[in-house]
Amino acid sequence: MQSIFANLALGLQTAFTLTNIMWVFIGGSLGTVIGMLPGLGPATGVAILIPITFGMNPATALITMCAVYYGAMFGGSRASIMINVPGDASAIVSCFDGYPMTKQGRAGPALAISAIASFIGGMIGMVFLVFLTQPIASAALKFGPAEMFSLLLFALVATITLSEGNLLKGLIAIAFGLMLSTIGIDAMTGVLRFTYGVEALNDGIDFLVVIIGVYAVTEVYKNFKDINAVYKLDSKTIGKVWITKEDWKRSWKPMLRNSPLGFIIGVLPGMGGSIATFMSYALEKNLSKHPEEFGKGAIEGLAAPEASNNACSCGAMVPLLTLGIPGSGTTAVMLGALMMLGVKPGPTLFTDHPEIAWGVIASMILGNIILIIINLPLAIPLVQLLKVPTRIMLPLIMGLALIGTYFLNYSSTDFIIVMIAGVVGYLFSKMEIPLPPLVLALILGGSTEQNLRNSMVLSDGSPMIFLQKPISAVFLVLAAGTLVYALAKRKKQAA
Amino acid sequence: MTNNLVTGIVAIAIGGIYFITAMLLPEMRMGDRLGPKLFPSIAGILAMLSGLVLIIQERNPAKRSKKADFGFVKNKEVWFKILLTTVVGIAYGLIMDSLGFLLPTTLFMLFITTLINKGRLVQNLIIAFLFAVISYGIFAVALKLSLPRGFIEQLLPF
Repeated sequence: MQSIFANLALGLQTAFTLTNIMWVFIGGSLGTVIGMLPGLGPATGVAILIPITFGMNPATALITMCAVYYGAMFGGSRASIMINVPGDASAIVSCFDGYPMTKQGRAGPALAISAIASFIGGMIGMVFLVFLTQPIASAALKFGPAEMFSLLLFALVATITLSEGNLLKGLIAIAFGLMLSTIGIDAMTGVLRFTYGVEALNDGIDFLVVIIGVYAVTEVYKNFKDINAVYKLDSKTIGKVWITKEDWKRSWKPMLRNSPLGFIIGVLPGMGGSIATFMSYALEKNLSKHPEEFGKGAIEGLAAPEASNNACSCGAMVPLLTLGIPGSGTTAVMLGALMMLGVKPGPTLFTDHPEIAWGVIASMILGNIILIIINLPLAIPLVQLLKVPTRIMLPLIMGLALIGTYFLNYSSTDFIIVMIAGVVGYLFSKMEIPLPPLVLALILGGSTEQNLRNSMVLSDGSPMIFLQKPISAVFLVLAAGTLVYALAKRKKQAA
Repeated sequence: MTNNLVTGIVAIAIGGIYFITAMLLPEMRMGDRLGPKLFPSIAGILAMLSGLVLIIQERNPAKRSKKADFGFVKNKEVWFKILLTTVVGIAYGLIMDSLGFLLPTTLFMLFITTLINKGRLVQNLIIAFLFAVISYGIFAVALKLSLPRGFIEQLLPF
């Protein structure tokens, strides 16, 4: 316990520098703005803002990316509340009661409770994060290649089984991601694989380029159909951005109840903010004495998912920081950017670079405070950005995405990859093939293969090693369990 | 053809080509014998198997997915814009090293704004110019990141 507080103090020391505070403010503001824009989620936000972290030291870079992530989570519901168009999937639920509140002339309290609930959810999530990371990281230090392989397998399986959508298409997405990860020189033997004579592929495909392609470029392509979208926003009717005593009385319990729920969901791979918010909404509706008010502007119907969503984003940091396994699209993007900066998240991060690991955790406390400052007094000027037409925003996103691509490797070949990835991402969206499993598999493919091969060498070619090691066996059982659960759930839904 | 059928065929085709290529990879004489081909083989089989099951499932009328609709005809204007953007985006990357950052970026931004924000030439010119200058200011001047220098950048004092 004492070491946790000592580490947290170290983190606070790292985070609370003038430079870091400035970047938390800038990153949080940019994240809020991007999160607010319809259709653009935190993953796209982090992907196109990666270049601003180049040239920073790793701690500041990670702190800035967390601020963008957090900001996007805060901002995601602004568009839901004001114009009934969610910023991303996790902000869909905020439309249910947020927009009816706006129609009733209560946009001010809706914006306020959204920021307050996000703050409370984030702070509660932080407490869990502080106390959970150290034990998990310490346990993970004892993992050998067999345990790591089974854990990675579980993470990949869980990503498709716990999320919605067609299981087989998720598996196809994983297979494609794994295939892409094997392109280039095999690090263990030096053999060239799947380059088909293209020299530029010898070093493999940079997954950040693919990520920018399938998130940012694809997002622009998807919006080509609705280029002329202009949202009506009457900022004069927002009123005072604050809540009444009655609003607080109705909201505080749902916020406290749903924050731990959101956190737990965030820790699990594949169960992102959208599942957390839907579950919280359903829970509150079931517990409410007035369920009939839900969907008609019940403030607790907005407070609960908002708190849950931000706690969920704290939970998503647990597997990323302690195991180096991203559980969502956004954390996958963050992992990719960190690896570029020479930082490898995982259990050793806490022993080799405790100042980075704990600095990030401490910066999230700082980020939460700064973001509530941004999102309460500045709520009205911020929502004005929703008036910027899509036809102006899209070129800016495309421009930022391509500049970001250039900075990754200073290679013109990457422009070919990013643009093709954009088209493939668009085609996949038409075929309803989910992109997050592909991205996760692409990022984790290298270490999954390495751990598989190391295990096979250790066991002299026997796959039984994965069952003989107890921790590895547990992860395999969990992977099989989630697969069976998903199949049973889908069968029930079909019946 | 249904959506799942198309997905299944694509998965089998890509997985198949990949699997055959994996099989042609060399085996090691000692230690990690299957070496570089083991993991790719698993990925290829996974793609083919998933695609096959998806196709078999489509035979059941109750489980059949909706008709595949890529909008090649209905939204041909969208597809035209996507392909044009893709080609120009690639060209942008290819000319950047020789022409520097500012000119290609302004030209690319002018292209994409004209494509999306039709009929507002002055507004598009301003956006394109400001985007190139501001991003150059942020990345090359403020963050001191290396950007390609063409004849325009050579004239600048920073």
